[in-house]
Amino acid sequence: MSNLSEPPAPEEVTTSERLQLTLFVSGASPTSIRAVQRLRDLCDKNCPAGYDLEIVDIYQQPEKVASAGVVAVPTLIKDLPLPVRVLVGGFTDRPRVLAALGLSISTTEP
Amino acid sequence: MTNNDVHDPGDRPRVELPKSPTGITGFDEVSKGGLPTGRPTLVSGPPGSGKSLFALQFLVHGATHCGEPGLYLGFEGDRGDLAADVGALGIDLAGLEQNGVLLIDAQAMEREAIETGEFDLEALMVRVAFAVEKVGAKRVALDSLESLFAAFGNRPALVRSELLRLFRWLKDRDLTAVITGERTEETLIRHGMEEYLSDCVVLLDHRVVDEVATRRLRILKYRGSTHGRNEYPFLIGPDGLEVLPITSLGLNQQVSSDRLTTGIAGLDEMLGGQGVYRASSILVSGTSGTGKTTIAASFASAACQRGEKVLFFSFEESESEILRNMASVSLDLAGWVERGLLHFHCQRPTTLGLEDHLATMRRKVDQIAPTLVVIDPVSSLSRGTSQLDVSAMLMRQIYYLKSAGITAVMTSLTEGGDDLEHTELNISSLVDTWLLTITMPSSGERNRGLYVLKSRGMAHSNQIREFLLSSEGVGLVPVYIGPDGVLTGSARAAAEAAQAATEQGWARESAELTEALELRRRAVETEVASLWADFEAEENRSQRRIQAGKKGEEALRLSRLEQGRQRTVKPEDGP
Repeated sequence: MSNLSEPPAPEEVTTSERLQLTLFVSGASPTSIRAVQRLRDLCDKNCPAGYDLEIVDIYQQPEKVASAGVVAVPTLIKDLPLPVRVLVGGFTDRPRVLAALGLSISTTEP
Repeated sequence: MTNNDVHDPGDRPRVELPKSPTGITGFDEVSKGGLPTGRPTLVSGPPGSGKSLFALQFLVHGATHCGEPGLYLGFEGDRGDLAADVGALGIDLAGLEQNGVLLIDAQAMEREAIETGEFDLEALMVRVAFAVEKVGAKRVALDSLESLFAAFGNRPALVRSELLRLFRWLKDRDLTAVITGERTEETLIRHGMEEYLSDCVVLLDHRVVDEVATRRLRILKYRGSTHGRNEYPFLIGPDGLEVLPITSLGLNQQVSSDRLTTGIAGLDEMLGGQGVYRASSILVSGTSGTGKTTIAASFASAACQRGEKVLFFSFEESESEILRNMASVSLDLAGWVERGLLHFHCQRPTTLGLEDHLATMRRKVDQIAPTLVVIDPVSSLSRGTSQLDVSAMLMRQIYYLKSAGITAVMTSLTEGGDDLEHTELNISSLVDTWLLTITMPSSGERNRGLYVLKSRGMAHSNQIREFLLSSEGVGLVPVYIGPDGVLTGSARAAAEAAQAATEQGWARESAELTEALELRRRAVETEVASLWADFEAEENRSQRRIQAGKKGEEALRLSRLEQGRQRTVKPEDGP
């Protein structure tokens, strides 16, 4: 269980570009709402260049689920800046999320 | 056999499981109708074993032949990869999708998904539900389990429970599903899914034995249905997956009592005087150089003489070699080739895998529609494969040919030193007529012999006959069995000559005796005749004298009466 996916390479760790994010969630379930809240909170605090977040409800837009090849919810796809990253889970592991998105932990972070 | 499957002894009709045909040549026969309708089937095998193709063929057949639209959900490559894979097999996925009978949802799984907390696979359910509804799918393929487990390698328990949810969902909607997986029991047990995917489990295998690639298919289990339990060779041919055999393995083929000449008069004589049965299988086995090919060629030539088509599979000699060699024993096969009656198919046994050979043979048989097939020799097919494979293959080939009413003549090379009455392929119990060619070394010669080891359904000779190959043709002569034992070759010729000489001597002597006796008899007859003549003359003389004597006596009596009368005086007449 501890053998998690490889952490991103060091040179990708920080970015000053604007993030293009797509988040797939399952409707308005409490887990979905919590995941959205966590992500927004995290990005608000750590994205110096700002971010665009598209939230896709898999029940409302199933064709987008298929075209993106998504099987898990929540799934976050970072389309830009490259490389594309796919994150699954409810963003409870904040350092991991930040690393995957290429963000450094902001000093404003508690 | 079929009846037993359908009815139990209590005459209570058992409901056969509804099945969905796969359209995969041979598989529907082996599985007796296809995959269980409304249930998931696990198709398992190592990479490259044809799982995806199996799944796709199943969907395409449903869409094109059964009015059952299909959904393909793939995680191993994108649709471009898939289309390229099946395009070569003439499957037009794009066309089927345009017609709305097939939906391909293929996305390579992102294997580097970074886990940041709790998640589930609800999106997968949504994708399946959306696609099933969109196309009105009755058939679903999920390709493959491993890619899902690999994508979420840290959470097998989650993937398992989510997949089980998906399988239940598929079952609840009566969707016939093919789920592919790389390994068999161990994976299933490891993932704890065996009880959910055990309605039907099909194993595909791809192995290389002695550098020859062979593919195998086996139905591991099929709940609620009978099925062929063997390992069946299959191949990926121009029409996709083909499982062999294409015919059922039932023992219910029509038998023929029509007899065919073997082309060798002496051999016909040994086989009840009429030769072999049509559509029977004949095995000619023996060590090297005993004339097996020649016997097979005689069968072929005889069939051509009847105006029938013959297909000759040669795995050791080329067509021109066979034609030349057979011409040396007055078997003009070239003439039959020219007339389109005799067809050769020569191939090195190692050029193809076993199942490819089988498929090629079957295709050739279908194409040429012969009444007699020669396989020379079957033993060379065992190269690169296990004996079990070959005998299983031959068994099917024999049944296939039998059911098609085709006579099969096979030759088999027995290695020197092996027990002659034992074929390495264990096919002897399958053949109807088994001819054994042997060498009989004696007095500095090596002569060929032949005997009938068995021949079902006919009286056959128990003799070993000498098998003669000469420029005048092929002949079988009875061996000479004299006081010195069995003689063959020149020893037989010498013994026969000696016997002929003795017989001639006896004949001359008896002729002379007969003549002498005849002369003597004539002499005796002449003598008897002259004696009779003398006797008759004497008898005549004697008779005459007897007659003369009697006359004299009478005359004397009359004269005495007269004298007496003259001397007596008549009283009434006196003077």
